[in-house]
Amino acid sequence: MRLDLDVPIPEGAQERAHRVAMAAFASYHPAPRRRAYWRPALAIAVVAAIAGVLASPPGRSVIQSIREAVGVKKAQRELFSLPAAGRLLVGSVRGPWVVGQNGSKRLLGAYREASWSPFGRFVVALRGDELVTMEPNGRVHWTLARPALELPAWGGRHADTRIAYLTRRKLRVVAGDGTGDAMRCAGGVAPVLPAWQPGSLSVLAVSAPNGRVQVYNVRDCRLILRTAPGAVPARLAWSSDGRLLLAVAPSALRVYDLRGRVVARDDPSDGTLDGDAAFLPGTHRVAVVRVHGAQSDVSILGSGETLFHVAGTLRQVVPSPDGRWLLLTWPAADQWVFVGTSGAHAIRAVSDIAGQFGGGSFPTVSGWIGK
Amino acid sequence: MAGPKGDERAWVRGAQAGSASDFEALFRAHWPNAYRTAYLVVHDAAAAEDIAQEAFFAAVRNLDRFDRRRPFGPWLHRIVVNRAIDWSRRRALRGEVELHESGVEQAPPDVGSDTVTRMRELSPEHRAVIVMRHLLGYTPGEIARLLGLPRGTVNSRLRRGLDQLKERV
Repeated sequence: MRLDLDVPIPEGAQERAHRVAMAAFASYHPAPRRRAYWRPALAIAVVAAIAGVLASPPGRSVIQSIREAVGVKKAQRELFSLPAAGRLLVGSVRGPWVVGQNGSKRLLGAYREASWSPFGRFVVALRGDELVTMEPNGRVHWTLARPALELPAWGGRHADTRIAYLTRRKLRVVAGDGTGDAMRCAGGVAPVLPAWQPGSLSVLAVSAPNGRVQVYNVRDCRLILRTAPGAVPARLAWSSDGRLLLAVAPSALRVYDLRGRVVARDDPSDGTLDGDAAFLPGTHRVAVVRVHGAQSDVSILGSGETLFHVAGTLRQVVPSPDGRWLLLTWPAADQWVFVGTSGAHAIRAVSDIAGQFGGGSFPTVSGWIGK
Repeated sequence: MAGPKGDERAWVRGAQAGSASDFEALFRAHWPNAYRTAYLVVHDAAAAEDIAQEAFFAAVRNLDRFDRRRPFGPWLHRIVVNRAIDWSRRRALRGEVELHESGVEQAPPDVGSDTVTRMRELSPEHRAVIVMRHLLGYTPGEIARLLGLPRGTVNSRLRRGLDQLKERV
């Protein structure tokens, strides 16, 4: 018997899968197959060369440029442009703003808790007891009324998406076109923005009130991962290939793999706190803001590499979509500071941030998304 | 000149050494059938994408440990089929109405041939062996080895599955 088992492949599905698979492969590191005896010698030579450079006057000036960045005196008064491609979504007392790469700003309206859809084609936000989806130009697509709404998070793929949100601290999920709204899985959750695994319509990370990080397949409510109780994270974020999950609390930072194993951690002590952290897109590197007393350091977790140091308290770290810049927010200085991650220690700063976003309290950056 | 199997071994070797182009070649060669296989077992396009994607994640995770003397396809297909069966069983146990799959820009679904539509009536276990036999071209013995089943079970599932399909014509 001959069977016709031809199944048409949905348009774009293979390319979506290709992007995700190649991103996953980008983080694959071949295991060393044989010992190369010349490598330690080369490493020693490189370290010696770097030490020599840093000991030289030009080298010292590089370090100084970081240390003297306190206050960033040469800050621009206006945000003329972003240093990398993409758009920002910024939450202010007047509502969310979309900021273009050329510095253009558009106020979307009197909404709160806005966030991007996975590819930046839409925005979800809250208005009173309504969840509102809209285009980045403010045109509303659909709304959904629910009591005590909090923390909408949009995930999925180009052709199919899901929005997770909290209502009365219960998790609900609705399709990207507003259909199929239903309570899902976790009974009670902490007020932490849920995090969709990139490219997935079903894998979602939430925090329980006792600080456990729980990853569900919301399609069948299968619990994929559950960590030990602890401090409730301030932020949950996936690496772009969806293989690692970052949970940041002031007293503890953890990076988990999909089996729940801790693959990286930071336990600051002596009055130091982890203010914020984020994966650099396309990598498993984590940029972390450590605040100790009245000073802050920005570094790459586990590398010992300090990218920026200020005498002040930084609040957020938001990587550019290409991972080459970090946007650091500095409320006390009313500044945004863009710091390069490539090692060249490029720094650009913009002042009067609160004023540029309608005045009032210092705005919060909800995301920097590619075009 | 290297045939497809020779190509595949070279791609696996290259991917293990970190070559993105070789991994991409493996992806291009195997993703379409991974998706089709998953779809024919679960009959859910989004789930099929997830399953095919998870299979390639598994491939990346286990690339270092993969025995390059063995063919890549059967190893990948085994992951896809087992995950697809698991997914279908869980859905059946729940008896749950799924979230609507329609998204912002989703095109109307096209499920393919009549046979594909009729396969929905079979159990996931029956669908799996039929797909492995008639889409992927494995022999009953190979299916038995890949799924860890007695060969007689594979043969009976094939026979019953095909009989049920005929009855529904």
